[in-house]
Amino acid sequence: MSVSGINLGEAWREWLGESAPRLLSYARARCNDVQEAEDLLQDALIKLWGYQKERECRPPDLPLAFSVMRYLALDSGRRKGRREKRDRKIIQFQGDDDHWLDTTLEDTEEADLLRNEVEELPEKLREALTLKIWGGLTFAEIGGVLKISHNTAASRYRYALEQLQKKLNHLQTFKNG
Amino acid sequence: MDNALKDLESKLETMTPFGLSDLGRANCHQMIDQLVGECEFSTKSVNREKGNWKGTAAAAAVALGVGVSSGWFLGVDRTSAVIREDNKSAEAHDILAFEDLNYETWILATGSPNVYVTKSGEIREISREVEVTEEVVQHRESGLVVTIETTDYHVVDTPKSDF
Repeated sequence: MSVSGINLGEAWREWLGESAPRLLSYARARCNDVQEAEDLLQDALIKLWGYQKERECRPPDLPLAFSVMRYLALDSGRRKGRREKRDRKIIQFQGDDDHWLDTTLEDTEEADLLRNEVEELPEKLREALTLKIWGGLTFAEIGGVLKISHNTAASRYRYALEQLQKKLNHLQTFKNG
Repeated sequence: MDNALKDLESKLETMTPFGLSDLGRANCHQMIDQLVGECEFSTKSVNREKGNWKGTAAAAAVALGVGVSSGWFLGVDRTSAVIREDNKSAEAHDILAFEDLNYETWILATGSPNVYVTKSGEIREISREVEVTEEVVQHRESGLVVTIETTDYHVVDTPKSDF
């Protein structure tokens, strides 16, 4: 190893500090609650460490990290049963205040509405939106993570925005009477 | 993209995702320390054994034997995989010996859903989904590639919203 143990540990901690909110937002888009999302992130950490052994254990690139998170989320979903998970997720999102986006700094009503609508988007659209906005990936990278073309990734993203815009317009119309 | 969508994009960007909880961060840091520690330990072990090619060759032969037999074991059927999970001591080595090459899962819908009314008057629909998963793994030592196909059957029971 060309990097000493202390530096390596520091490098991974730093990487985690920068990437955790992004990775966690993606995990939250795929998991039922914050605990499950954090477990997923920890599992991904172990997996990524294994992958990076061939690269002197350096912290990984974000697209690889998202790919691993997706793989683990799929695997976890398969084990638990897709339907059970989806039903519980709907209950979770509608039932309490366990949200994964912080809107405290924004205009409350609109931000709250946006947050709720993002969480209720269909999974494929939410995934593309999360990876683009909070993951900071390009459409090509999103395509690589989701195993779809970059055009499909862009379409899903745009469609997600359009759906959210419709909801916002509806709110405006309602407010204006 | 029109201006309304660009504005919306900007609004979304200002909504920051929550970070790790204190406990989650502490767990991750502890895990990093462990991984770094194990990595240093294995590096030292490799350095100590440099030159002892007979020992290395013997270890490689044992690992190859375990790996190939594990590969064969994985490919037999689902029951054998369950038995394998029970053998905790061998499990970790077996899993580490394989690298995931590909993972795909897809849903095959079977038939149109049946609509029914519950005792409380709720209208629901029930259908079946077949989920197929294909995993391709490679044994690191031998290069042996194993494809595992799993089929899961789910009963989907949801409230009916479209009429």
